Amino acid sequence: MKDVKISVNQFAVLVMIFTIGTTILVIPSGLAADAKQDAWIAAAIGVGINVLIVLFYNFISRYFPDLTLVEYNEALFGKWLGKMISLLFIFFAFIGAATVLFYMGNFVNTQVMPETPIQAVNIIFASVVVMGARLGLETLARAAEIFFPWIILLFVLLVACLLPQVQLSKIEPVLAVGSKALIKGALSVAGTSSLPFIVLFMIFPAHINRKDRSPMAYLIATVIGGASFVIITFLCVSVLGPIMTERHMFPSYALAKQINIGNFLERVEILIAGMWFLTVYFKTTFYFYAFVRGLATVLNIKDYRSLALPSGMLMVIYSLVVYPNVAYMSKFDTITYIPYALTVGLLYPLLVLAVSAVRKSMLKN
Amino acid sequence: MGFIQQLFGNKHRPLDIDLQQHGLSLPADLLEPSLVLNLEHIKKSFGYSQDVVIQSMIPDETCPSIMGFIYIEGLVSPTALQSLLTENINLDLDEQPLTALRTSISTLGQVTEFSDFATLYQSLLSGLTVVLLDGCAQGLAANTSGGEHRAVEEPTTQSVVRGPREGFTEVISTNIALIRRKIKDPSLWMETMKIGRVSKTDVAIMYVHGIANDGLVEEARRRLGSIDIDAIFESGNVEELIQDETYTPFPTLYNTERPDVIAAGLMEGRVAILVDGTPFVLMAPALFTQFYQSAEDYYQRADFASLLRLLRYACFFISLLAPSLYIAITTFHQELLPSSLLISLAAQREGIPFPAFIEAVVMEVTFEILREAGVRLPKTVGQAVSIVGALVIGQAAVEAGLVSPAMVIIVAITAISNFVIPSFNMAISVRILRFLLMLIAASFGLYGVTVGLIATVLHLCSLRSFGVPYMSPMGPFILEDQKDTIFRMPLWALFARPRLISQKNSVRERNTAPNTPQTGRPK
Repeated sequence: MKDVKISVNQFAVLVMIFTIGTTILVIPSGLAADAKQDAWIAAAIGVGINVLIVLFYNFISRYFPDLTLVEYNEALFGKWLGKMISLLFIFFAFIGAATVLFYMGNFVNTQVMPETPIQAVNIIFASVVVMGARLGLETLARAAEIFFPWIILLFVLLVACLLPQVQLSKIEPVLAVGSKALIKGALSVAGTSSLPFIVLFMIFPAHINRKDRSPMAYLIATVIGGASFVIITFLCVSVLGPIMTERHMFPSYALAKQINIGNFLERVEILIAGMWFLTVYFKTTFYFYAFVRGLATVLNIKDYRSLALPSGMLMVIYSLVVYPNVAYMSKFDTITYIPYALTVGLLYPLLVLAVSAVRKSMLKN
Repeated sequence: MGFIQQLFGNKHRPLDIDLQQHGLSLPADLLEPSLVLNLEHIKKSFGYSQDVVIQSMIPDETCPSIMGFIYIEGLVSPTALQSLLTENINLDLDEQPLTALRTSISTLGQVTEFSDFATLYQSLLSGLTVVLLDGCAQGLAANTSGGEHRAVEEPTTQSVVRGPREGFTEVISTNIALIRRKIKDPSLWMETMKIGRVSKTDVAIMYVHGIANDGLVEEARRRLGSIDIDAIFESGNVEELIQDETYTPFPTLYNTERPDVIAAGLMEGRVAILVDGTPFVLMAPALFTQFYQSAEDYYQRADFASLLRLLRYACFFISLLAPSLYIAITTFHQELLPSSLLISLAAQREGIPFPAFIEAVVMEVTFEILREAGVRLPKTVGQAVSIVGALVIGQAAVEAGLVSPAMVIIVAITAISNFVIPSFNMAISVRILRFLLMLIAASFGLYGVTVGLIATVLHLCSLRSFGVPYMSPMGPFILEDQKDTIFRMPLWALFARPRLISQKNSVRERNTAPNTPQTGRPK
């Protein structure tokens, strides 16, 4: 399994798609709720926090260049404590996969096809996720490279068609909200886009073929992915206005609905939604892949593929159960999820770093 | 007892026993010194078939020993046979008869000497004439192979406007020669083997030593060597047995009837596999982008060729997605259509009893029926029936109110764009996938189409052809190879061979761009 290597370019593409993921879909609404018309500034600060977190992850990754995080847990904390901690980590990945699947199902069910039962929507998405996980990392990386130009194309189309409708008056007064609101918004950005990078530790140092160039690629990809949702947030606020951005559950979909070229090219928001299907697909698949690989390592199963289909079924069921209703969902996302992501994404790596450093100094002595 | 043993006993009996029971044994018998016994052995093995002709010379004063000439009518060339017989009928064979005979026969070409029946039969069945001497336990085979075969003609399946009009024939030696004429370098190496226990079909591997990857050649050799089957009649049989993946609609080996395509592929480091008895030559490894390239791309101008390639990729998407998109948009996403088009489509679909999906499936299946029938129609009625099919069925169905005119247009565009794909085996896979995508579009609209496309791309990315990823250079994105993928850069810019296929000797000759000639008076 270890001989599966992806190239640095493929990894960069994966990180960009992972960053964009669900962020574009749901984050502008939360940001506008906190930071009103400065939502885009909060997004920019969020990108800054992303960069710091990625620098931190790059630093930690030097301690285990050839192991995945779950294997390193066992090496670091001993067998049983390591397995316990790994279980907590992979449960984070599982929750991530199920919640992202719920977002996709919810989006399709409310905006695109209200009459289709959400179970069916979730099941066909999960089938492709399971198929991707079963086919392995190389296939996923190649598919990401093939889809990447189309994602860029749709993104550029969205931005280009909306630039005529930008009204700079809607983002004024600039920097009028206090820093507290900005930080809160930035943290929610980090929670959705960069703290989940912890699950990429299942592939990051171990499966990249040129480890010397990968940290830089990681950083650049994070910045570019971050820039894209700063742009989207800016467009949301300047075209729709802060109040409408806050009110919509999927503000960028509402943004796409505004596209109108010569009264001919209108109501094309479903094409822009295609971009989200692709980015959300890769995000879900990588959460799921981290879960299945981690579970296989914890249970000492040689081939993780046999776990993929049952885990997929569990993921579908859990995605229907995890948020009883949308009100619970927004409460969870604003109040509970950010500390949870900080624990697994920040405190846990700090623990790993501390123990690694202590061990290294003990070994030196 | 035998029945029980068959059920529970060893099911894998050695194959030689099977053959012997059916009389298809491979005798390891050696030749006898007596000519009469040898001839009797031969006649019995062939079951006294009339086309095995045995001519034996009766001894007299001039020719003391008995010579026997054995050949199979129809496999030998009459002129060569005649010269063999005339020269050797009255040969003086006093001392060293075998050597004298051998020298005399060698005017015809390569002479094989053998002393067992297996080689004798093999030579006979390859069109050689076997000469046996009484008192000698060895035989000679003279090169008289010939027989009727098709002349070198323009390939019917892959024709070009500009370019050579030679196509391969069914005789493997002609095909090898056609390729040798394109690459006149001693480093074009070939290896032959016989595949098929009963058919013993000649199969050859050709590659340019120094350009082709040694591992690739070894892999081709290994895969061909591990084929264990009764008979091989076409390269398609070989393709099925050596391809990487069986459960995929996409082809992973390229086949062509044109020597120039094979020669170009050999220059890129690929390996050609020729099978006797078929004009279709295989080439490994095959990449997805290769099936959208035609030989003509390289003979016409670069800009025109690039546009045509873009058109072919567009036609791939059209023939894969057009019916699905139509179904998805008219069923789920009517808001995508501009208002005037929407009103006109709605008016058209007003009296149609079927939902868009049923309409689409019925029309597509009808077109597939017409297409299959068209392959087997005799030429005389072909034109009339195709006009009937197209006009009457299409027009009449619309006027009867069974299908909407828009659906007929979509089906027609889909079918025509399917023919734009240069390679037939790739076009087949698109036809299969189209129906799956229609089904998922009818259930889940554009969301379903996106999910279906993701599944298709994942499947394509997981394929390998002889170890090379199928979607390179787009899957693992290789920047240097992009010059010949979607666009065709001018020849002076195509100076590197594809990176994953030829891992040694990666630079062709570096050319410089041509200078425009100076006008004006010479200095």
